[in-house]
Amino acid sequence: MSAHPTPARRRRAVNNTIAVAVSAVMLFPVYWMVATAFKPSGKILSAVPQFFPWPISLGNFQRALAKPHFWVFVRNSLTVTLSSVALSLVIALFAAIAIARFRFAGRKVLLAILVLVQMIPAAAMVIPVYLMLRSIGALDFVPGLILTYMTFVLPFTIWTLRGFVDGVPVELEEAALVDGCGRFQMYVRVLLPLLMPGIVATSIFAFVNAWDDYLFAYVIMKSQNNYTLPVWLVSFRTAESVDYGAMIAASTIFSLPVLVFFLLVQRRLVGGMTNGAVKG
Amino acid sequence: MAITEKRSAARAPGRPRPRPKGRPGGARRRMLPWAMIAPAAAALILIQGYPLARLLVLSTQNFGPRSLFTGQADFVGADNFTALFGDPDFRAVLLRTLVFTVVCVALLMVLGFLLSHLLTGVSPWARVVTTVSLVLVWAMPMVAATLVWQWMYQPQYGVANWLLTKLRVFGDLTAYDWFSHPDQALGLVILLTVWKGLPFVALTLFAARGQIPEPLYEAARLDGAGTLQTFRHITVPILRPVLGILTLLEVIWSVNSFTPIWVLTQGGPDGRTTTLGVYAYVTAFSRNDYGSGASVAVVTVLILAVLSIAYVRRLADQGDEQGGPA
Repeated sequence: MSAHPTPARRRRAVNNTIAVAVSAVMLFPVYWMVATAFKPSGKILSAVPQFFPWPISLGNFQRALAKPHFWVFVRNSLTVTLSSVALSLVIALFAAIAIARFRFAGRKVLLAILVLVQMIPAAAMVIPVYLMLRSIGALDFVPGLILTYMTFVLPFTIWTLRGFVDGVPVELEEAALVDGCGRFQMYVRVLLPLLMPGIVATSIFAFVNAWDDYLFAYVIMKSQNNYTLPVWLVSFRTAESVDYGAMIAASTIFSLPVLVFFLLVQRRLVGGMTNGAVKG
Repeated sequence: MAITEKRSAARAPGRPRPRPKGRPGGARRRMLPWAMIAPAAAALILIQGYPLARLLVLSTQNFGPRSLFTGQADFVGADNFTALFGDPDFRAVLLRTLVFTVVCVALLMVLGFLLSHLLTGVSPWARVVTTVSLVLVWAMPMVAATLVWQWMYQPQYGVANWLLTKLRVFGDLTAYDWFSHPDQALGLVILLTVWKGLPFVALTLFAARGQIPEPLYEAARLDGAGTLQTFRHITVPILRPVLGILTLLEVIWSVNSFTPIWVLTQGGPDGRTTTLGVYAYVTAFSRNDYGSGASVAVVTVLILAVLSIAYVRRLADQGDEQGGPA
């Protein structure tokens, strides 16, 4: 490095410094969650906060895991999330292929409805969905929640996958058909592998949507046996004296799968979300 | 593998398969797209269409706790809406939602734009560091983020009060309870919303910016354009569609925000951090007045619908011109 950096280089150094500072500020709450989770319980409620968890302790995690029904909530969350992701993917794939590959009456109306439905806020729908499930006796019933999540991510999933199907040249499919491939076989062998980025992007969207939902689970799931993790996590707050250590440790466990997920696919994610939604 | 191929090959010559697009085939072929759409359509009609219709009907009914059990509710016409707009509480909620949304969206868009600009001017290692930090914040589940916020701003032991007191800018904040002051509590919710939403805006804008050809900027620089001028004449005009969609999405998300507000403040103190999403919930489920709650939701949907119409029309048109320029 020269003693007198060029202006361009100096500007880059300034930018890098700002970027690191911004990263530190943005990341701090995430760090604080993990750091708090690993602190020995005596160090959590101290007038001077301890910035590095030392000695590292797993006590908070042990207390969180020992809470009654913890594994029931984990199982409920996993069941609801994975089922709604799988269901929405299969149903959306068929619809997306039909919309992208066939011309049929009402296609344009359908496209408009798909966008329109995405504009309807889920928060507004919680009242009628609650009353509907109540009147058919499906309140506090896990499949009811699964169907709700599945349907709410469906428009986005169809819309995004349709964009990806459009991106696959029809000639590829035609070639497979000419080679004597059945239509279904062609979809599985030719189309599906090419749609993987779209499938990954929409699965993550559907996963996070169900995993992180608080409102519907809170309204629909009334008995503790059916709580999902978010409902249980929030119920920590209402306890007489909040066990912050266990609450934050449980939040860390809850966040971990999503954090890992996002990190693994971050490159695809940034493009994937906008490709489908923005470029159409 | 080999067997399937042989079998398909034997079947192929006699029957030319119809092209997937265009040319009309038999009745079965015409039904195929409908059969493929049927499950999605059924789900959407049942769990979006029906509740939406029910919401509209509900907003014209006096649907109280008794109706829950009898299933009967009186038609009251526009009474729920008249009562709503005559209610100073609701007008305060509307105004608060407006302020909350404008502040959140303005901060998100401006900071997101600046951050995406910053990302284009840093060394690769700094870009990786920033992107990874942003992705981690984006990935944080909202429920977990809200609980972390609650912990960070805990009056006695929270890290925020300690740090702010050390900074000596705002005076002694030891044991300061943010959640008992309405404006400060709403400020915390805004801070949480902006923090959590910033990565999506910044990364989307950064990705979109990557599509702008670099020679455009080089030419502008040669012509002596400064940073602000390139913003005004290149970046913003080209990114306008993306900026528009992001703004609309953030408006929708802010207006409907529920979890961060409900978990942090429960709309309090004294209902003074309640926005439309929380208000609809409280009216329906806490006061057991489902009719009025539905009318709050209908007003929300109408406000957002007006804002969205232009956008929906454009997207549907885009989706219709197949295989257009990507």
